[in-house]
Amino acid sequence: MENGKDLADFAIDYGASCGASYIEARVVASRNESYAARNGVILGGGITYSSGIAIRVLANGGMGFCSTASLTKIGIENGIEEAIKLAKASKRIIPITFSEEEVAQTKWKSPVKIKFEEISIEEKQNFLIDLDKVLNKEFRFKLPTRTLLLDLYSDQKYIVTNEGSKVESENSIISAHTFNTAKGKAGGEQRMLSLGGTGGWEWIEEENVVERILEDNISLVKAARNAIEKDINQIDVVISGEVAGIMAHENVGHPSEADRILGREGAQAGESFYIDLLENEKLGEIKMGSEQVTIIDDPTQQGNSGFYLYDDECVKARPRYLIKNGMLNELFLNREYASRYNTHSNAAARAMGYNREPIIRMANTYFAPGDFTFEELFDDIKHGIYMKSFTEWNIDDRRFQSKYVGLEVYLIENGEVTDTMIRRPVLELTTYGILGSVDGVSKDFSSPHGYCGKGEPQQAAPVWLGGPHVRLRNIKLGGGIK
Amino acid sequence: MTETSDLLKFGISIAQDEKIDEVIAQRTKGKGYQIRFSNSMIDNSKIWRDDNLELFLAKGKKSTYLEIEAPTQAKIRSRIKDASKFLERLPDSFLYNGMESNQHEYEKLNKLYDPKIMDFSDKAPELVNAAIQASLESGAKKVAGVLYFGRSETELSTSYGNEGLYLGSYYRFTIRSFVDPDSSGQGLACSRNLSGVENDFLKAGNNAGEIAKMAIGGTQGTPGKYDVIMSPTVAANVLGQVFDGLNPVKIMVGMSPLKYEHVGKQIASKEFTVIDDALLAEGLGSRPFDVEGTPKGKTPIFSDGVLKGLLQNTSTSNMDKVENTGNSTFFDFGIGSKFLAPGPSNIAINGGDYTLEEIIAESKKPTIYITSNWYTRFTNMTEGIFSTIPRDGMFLIENGEIKKPVRRLRLSDNLLRICSNISAIGKDVKQIYWWEVLTPTFTPTIKVKDCTITAATQ
Repeated sequence: MENGKDLADFAIDYGASCGASYIEARVVASRNESYAARNGVILGGGITYSSGIAIRVLANGGMGFCSTASLTKIGIENGIEEAIKLAKASKRIIPITFSEEEVAQTKWKSPVKIKFEEISIEEKQNFLIDLDKVLNKEFRFKLPTRTLLLDLYSDQKYIVTNEGSKVESENSIISAHTFNTAKGKAGGEQRMLSLGGTGGWEWIEEENVVERILEDNISLVKAARNAIEKDINQIDVVISGEVAGIMAHENVGHPSEADRILGREGAQAGESFYIDLLENEKLGEIKMGSEQVTIIDDPTQQGNSGFYLYDDECVKARPRYLIKNGMLNELFLNREYASRYNTHSNAAARAMGYNREPIIRMANTYFAPGDFTFEELFDDIKHGIYMKSFTEWNIDDRRFQSKYVGLEVYLIENGEVTDTMIRRPVLELTTYGILGSVDGVSKDFSSPHGYCGKGEPQQAAPVWLGGPHVRLRNIKLGGGIK
Repeated sequence: MTETSDLLKFGISIAQDEKIDEVIAQRTKGKGYQIRFSNSMIDNSKIWRDDNLELFLAKGKKSTYLEIEAPTQAKIRSRIKDASKFLERLPDSFLYNGMESNQHEYEKLNKLYDPKIMDFSDKAPELVNAAIQASLESGAKKVAGVLYFGRSETELSTSYGNEGLYLGSYYRFTIRSFVDPDSSGQGLACSRNLSGVENDFLKAGNNAGEIAKMAIGGTQGTPGKYDVIMSPTVAANVLGQVFDGLNPVKIMVGMSPLKYEHVGKQIASKEFTVIDDALLAEGLGSRPFDVEGTPKGKTPIFSDGVLKGLLQNTSTSNMDKVENTGNSTFFDFGIGSKFLAPGPSNIAINGGDYTLEEIIAESKKPTIYITSNWYTRFTNMTEGIFSTIPRDGMFLIENGEIKKPVRRLRLSDNLLRICSNISAIGKDVKQIYWWEVLTPTFTPTIKVKDCTITAATQ
């Protein structure tokens, strides 16, 4: 890392001498250890190290980027020269500019009690083997296919800019994933579950990971064995924090990304329906849903998968209130798009690996808790469903028309959650259809880990998404496939 | 002897000193470029200098995989020693059943490399701007997209003495044109050969602009049962979910709609014939050998709708007691460490007899023509229940004519049903490789009868 830091400092001086108006160098050294098991047998494991440098420049209003794992001065000089040449060849009519931000010289790290290297290889494998024993003992033939993954990632990063910012960081993310198939009368149900957070090996115990995975599989097996097809039309729906979290991420987080709104992701992840809204009205004046809807993204939440204190453009992180009491309040901004909106960045620039450019990303996105108790949400529902978890989901590339297929779903009758499980109900709703139908939000909270895909080449960003229980009124269920 | 082959042999000898039984060493060196553009302007131009050594080490039935970037002898020695200690502490894996042990000579695939790639970076920005201009002139108001291009040298050496080397060049171009935020079209072009690249870019730009113009004034479509015409872009993504499932490891973990009992049975329409073809000159997945050193060739997948077999490597073919198809790859589940498992090279679907115009003219029942799609996800992968979201121009066809552009619909169906309901295959075979299709797929337009189309309820 020390050699890399020296070269990053060298890159800044060299880039400035070659005529770049902005130059940023980012050195990343990472370690990734992982194991996979199927039905209690380790399929394989490995440890991979990666280290390299990325340099981003602005020259003549164009942007250039180069990266290499070969940490030599000559390689860096050649890369910078070519990146500047290509940036100039862009011949942009409108130059790219960055917002003015405070110079940052600091260090941050995610708190780790037990480093991954302190735990033996056998103990890590045994975690998966023992977890599988728990599942197999509980379910046997009811859960015939179990794939379990453990991923232990850590990195050190050094970012320096020609404006004087220097930020060093150390991050550590642990995650456990299951992809299991449960057998039932009508076939089977499948479930991909991801749990994760920033921290060390202690996370497994502190977050009750084994218990949470067991509980999730109890739901999966119940759904496979007990859920029944039922024709339901207009109905009230209570969704869990897991479902509220994915909706916060997909229906609100993604369309709030300024690079989408202004077209940069047009040929990849698409644009945003916010472009229409922001043509005629301003932030703070646009009603997105009922007053109970507040959606926040907060990178500074320690322990959550999207945790960071400074982004990859050296801007200090803070919570972003995307929707406040039903009104569109804030967008995700990096320095390029903050400049386009003539404001400051809110530190949304993240790059997944040394060889990727920083782009606007979410971090820890959640539906803010409300005033209801869990029980109060159900009190006046005569006929409804309670959707605790989901399987399939997708959304159009303007982030307006979404689909969430329920997995663990119960019928609600006369204010009570019954034991009757409904098989694969579909919420096929627009973003307004969801946010406008919210009339109750509970005080409790739950949250899984996830990976958010965006960018080209794809950058899978670790994120966290959660929320309380949320009540949606008068929902017409969508068409599934029988 | 190249510097790389010395380094690969060095790695193998270090591993053998560590009592490793079987070793694969593959180094890929290259330089890749990307030009991203949106709002009709270039946003960022990227250069990647890649030099990556991949090592697969096996001792008995224990195995592990590691990557070494910018490899040097010192790095290789140190990482292999660490990996060897790590390997000792892994249990046997039932998934590992050996690697290619016979020695082979490989076919020279000279057409995989076009020397024109060497100075392509000088004119690429200009060509991108020309394609943007072409799209604007054909009616687009703004244009976004990406161009990748580059060259790579891949050299393989194994502990069984197999050695091979090939050079590759490539470009892939995506252009998406917007007339307004809801009216868009996409054009694609990709190849290993740069002859005619200028025209390919302009054609892709024009196509994108034309579809975008046709999509103007689209209205909310009506959910229901329709026949669906999938453009090559859509067919590559939707049917690609079936081809991804040709991997026995995916079947084992429940990530495939295919089952062993499907082999030898007709599970697709009679018109459907597909091969995995690693030797196509233009194919971005072409290569003379797989990562174990097994020579690559052509593997029948579907013949007249009958599933002929799965893709195999040494380990899975030994498990399944079938022939090795030479499809070994370094595989992962999207998370975690890689291991040896089969994967496709280029998928090639046989073209049929119809032009797109003829397929449209023959569509007397209400039919939806989907030109592009994204975000394909599953309710249940073993059952093949999925949905995907059309984007860009989508059109309702009635009585053999395009009636109007429609919007905001979702194809919600079952992969196996789609395979068996193929009703027409076009002759417009095209290589598709883009953000949503990462296995190079040569496919024509494909029509499927009786598909379920859904839409948001509120």
